[in-house]
Order: sequence, then C-alpha cells, then structure tokens
Amino acid sequence: MSPEIALHDPVFHAYVWIVLISLVVGGATLGFLRVVLKKDTASMFRTYWSWLVIAGLGLAFVFAGRIATILGVTLLAIYAFKEFSRASKLCRDRWMTGAVYAGIVAVGIASLVSQPRGEEPGVAWYGLFVAVPAFEIALILLIPILRNRARGELQQMSLAIIGFFCIGWTFGHLGLLANATNAYGFICYIIFATALSDVAAFAFGKIFGRHPLRSGISPNKTWEGALGAFGVAMILPWLLRFSFPFFGVWQLILTGLIVGIGGQLGDLSISVIKRDIGTKDMATSIPGHGGVLDRIDSLIYAAPLFMLMAAYYYPLR
Amino acid sequence: MKKWRYHSPGDLQRAPLDRLRQFPRKPDMLVLGLRSIVALIIRGLLRIYNRFEIVGHENLRTNRSLVIVANHCSHLDTLCLLAALPLRKLHRAFPAAASDYFFQSVPRLWIAAVIVNALPFSRQVRVRQSLSLCEQLLATPGTILIIFPEGTRSTTGELREFKSGIGSLVAGRDVAVVPCLIDGSVRAWPKGQRLPRPRKVRLIVGTPRNYRQRGRDKVDICAIAAELRDAVNELRQRNGSN
Repeated sequence: MSPEIALHDPVFHAYVWIVLISLVVGGATLGFLRVVLKKDTASMFRTYWSWLVIAGLGLAFVFAGRIATILGVTLLAIYAFKEFSRASKLCRDRWMTGAVYAGIVAVGIASLVSQPRGEEPGVAWYGLFVAVPAFEIALILLIPILRNRARGELQQMSLAIIGFFCIGWTFGHLGLLANATNAYGFICYIIFATALSDVAAFAFGKIFGRHPLRSGISPNKTWEGALGAFGVAMILPWLLRFSFPFFGVWQLILTGLIVGIGGQLGDLSISVIKRDIGTKDMATSIPGHGGVLDRIDSLIYAAPLFMLMAAYYYPLR
Repeated sequence: MKKWRYHSPGDLQRAPLDRLRQFPRKPDMLVLGLRSIVALIIRGLLRIYNRFEIVGHENLRTNRSLVIVANHCSHLDTLCLLAALPLRKLHRAFPAAASDYFFQSVPRLWIAAVIVNALPFSRQVRVRQSLSLCEQLLATPGTILIIFPEGTRSTTGELREFKSGIGSLVAGRDVAVVPCLIDGSVRAWPKGQRLPRPRKVRLIVGTPRNYRQRGRDKVDICAIAAELRDAVNELRQRNGSN
C-alpha cells in the first residue's frame, strides 16, 4: 500500500466511486424525505454530514499507505479508549490508562513490523500481534502490586483489560489487514460493509421495526433492523466480489456472516457497557453518531474474524 | 465485594469544544502525556533554535505556590517560562492567557487547553472573577501561576505599565512572587510575525519576594504593581543586552 499504488489500483478507484455514489444516494434519499415527504430529518442530516467527513478521512488514510492506515487505526483506538475511560471513570487512574495506551501503541507497532525470520519476507508478524494482549494483561496486573494497593483494584483492572481488548486489540486487527497484498480490497470492504449494514439496520429498524432485539440492552434496536442489516451484509460480498476475486462461494458466505452477525454483536456489546454506565452515547465527538467508539463498535467482532478468515485461506503478505 | 461504581458520568454529553473551554480541567493520561512530550520538544527546539539560556534557575526551586511575573512581548515568553520549570510541575503551571484571544478560535483553544494548560483570563469584563480563580488555584500548594501584568504583548520590547490586578492578587497573601525577564524574545518572535526567527533568547529569574505584610487597599496594590515593574526593569539593567 502506498499513494503510487493507490493511484493505479482499480480496487481503490472502485471504492472511491462506491463511497461517493453511496453518499450521493444517501443525501438524495434524505433530501427526498425532507423536501417531498416533509419529514423531520434534522438529526439524520447531522449524521449524514458526519458520514461525509468520516468517508473523506477514511479514504485519505487508506490512500496514504500502509503506515498511515495503521497509524489511523491506532489513533482511532486511542481516542475510542479515551472515551471509554472517561465514561467508565477509569481515566482517574493514570497508571491503568497509561498502561492501556501503551498497549494500544504496542498493537500498532506489532501490526507494523514484519516477520523477522519468516520463510516469506514481508509477511505480517501475527505471532507478535497475538502476544501483545498477554503482556498487556501482565502489565495491568503488575500495576496494583507496584503501587501496593488492593482496594477497588479489581474494578480498575477489569475495566482496563476490557477496554484494551475490545478497543485496542480486536479493532487493531484492521491495521493488520493493511499488510495484505490485497489490502485495499480487504480494508475498504470491511469498513464499507460494516458501515452500510449499520445504516441498513437503522433504516430497516426505522421503517419496519416492531419487535425489540434485546430489550434489556438497547431499546432502539429491533429484530427487523437486525435482519435487514444481515440481509444487506449477505448480499454485499457478491456485489463487491471484485474486492477479493480469489474468494470462493464459501468464503463469500463466511464474509457475509461475519459482517452480518459480527457487526450487530459488536454494536450490542458496546451497548451493554453503555447501558450499565447509564449513558446513551460514549461521547459527543462525532455529531449525530455519538463518540468514536459508537462508530467503530461494529468492527470489534467483524475485523478480527474477517482478518482470520482471510488469512486462513490466503496468507497475508 | 462492594458494588462497582462508575460515578455517574455528568459531562459525557457535552460537546468536545465545551469540554476544552471548561476550567479547572480534568486532564487524562493522553493529555498529560501529549503535554509532556510537546514540552520536551519545545525545550529542545528553544535550546537549539533560540540558544535558550536560563539565568538564576535556583530561584524557581520550591514546592510552594509561585506567581511568576514577567515582561511580555512574544508568544515565546510563555514557552520560555514553561521550559524553565521541572517537567513534573508542568501540569500544575497555569499561564494566564487572554480569554478573548486564546479561547475563541479552535486551534488556539486546543493549544491553550492541551499544550499550554492556560488559565482563561478575561481582560475586559469580569477581571475580578478571573482574579478570584487565580486565588483559588494558589490555595493548592505547588501551583505555579504565570502572569504577564502588562496585559498584552509589547511591540517594541519596552516594559509597559503593570496592571494593578497583579497587586491585588499577591497583596497580603503568603505566596512567593518571582519577577522574571525574558530577553530577546521581541527580536525572535515579534507580535504579528507568523513564525519565530533564530535569535538568542534568555530568561533571567529574579529573587522571590513576598507581599504577605502589605495591605489590600488601592494605594498598596498599585505600589506593589509598580515595585514588581521596577524589579523586572532592574533585571534588565543588570543582565539585559539592550
């Protein structure tokens, strides 16, 4: 991945067009709702303007190359963890948050370096990437020992470990995908597909939503929305088959399942945290979306599963 | 085991810009780390680019609260004074910054809140309120207030009259007041220039003084302001190059 390759890469070109067309279609739909049907779309338009910024930034980072993509993923994870630590009041504990930030940076570095003695040079060093959580948990367990304190430490340690795992590590798999030869296809697909299935869940839920999906967790999510998102996620791999032309039927089905189910599960698992803390959104950093964590939550299952599935069939190099 | 408590999140729904404006701040590890790293970089740059030099460093060595009073002709002044402090005191140092200048536009606001840890000081209205904020901060031991009593950057390098607010802040209060002179910053980065130039900058730290015994009436307050101005002027006569 580099700007020169991106300029001539047909997959990247295609995604620029796909994103542009989806944004235009989305904008036109919202405009239709507002002008013709006279619906109240103010909040949806706020979400839409933010989508424009997200799409622009995302494409810019992917265009800028491998290092920029990994850097972008790491920065997003850092910011998302900042929001998580603020919401859970872990941020008062500077040692714990410091350890998690260090861990997230380590995840970024681990996805950057290549295998030192691999048979094929240039292969991402997945072994190091997988070892980071072990050392990170050891570091977090070490902190209460170093400051000779036990009171309330279990809560702090648990919050730090969950935060690191859900936000730093699982989401960090996205950066690891940047090492693949087919990085543009993989990264653009997984981000676009989770985003689109999120939008589909919202739209289907808004139109057909009757039966609550998990009434104890999130009152606004419905079975209809989830099924709609699932349907979109299952169809999408076939429509965007050019992003991974070497995928067979099984891999395409797996991709659909990962995005369709994983996306929803990620959303719900962050909702559990938010519900217990007692807030609707983690923060207000993205107008109309909530916090950064509310935006990337659907990737916390989808990114690692998709990366593993892709690496199982085709070595990442 | 006790029930876990998340301490109900009060300000989660506040907009990011509002949170930057809020004072006193509650910085998290990310902000503290970023501030320390940037401070180190600025220190290195000042040493190399401006051949920055500190005279009388020992006058700043105390664990009690300090009010640093200095002449002001450049943005470099704040950076120089911050560079003279030990890194662990950086997060307890508050340069008073004009809220009409630093707390309006977003980039300046971000720099003021995250990098410099500035204290929003309103120069025109609500001066009393800003001063009482300073007083509250000084009550915590180890606080360092950086104040430019001229109230604005001088374009010529001449020392303007000191505002009397500095007098009312320190009169009758047991707090060390350190007069400082920043020499050369008007040539290195004058007002209106976009970027600093590689000119030599020196920081001369005077001996601390204490105005605990002084009264708080208007005459005394103005006298203290004048005395401090004389102290800074004297530093220039003894050490200054111009």
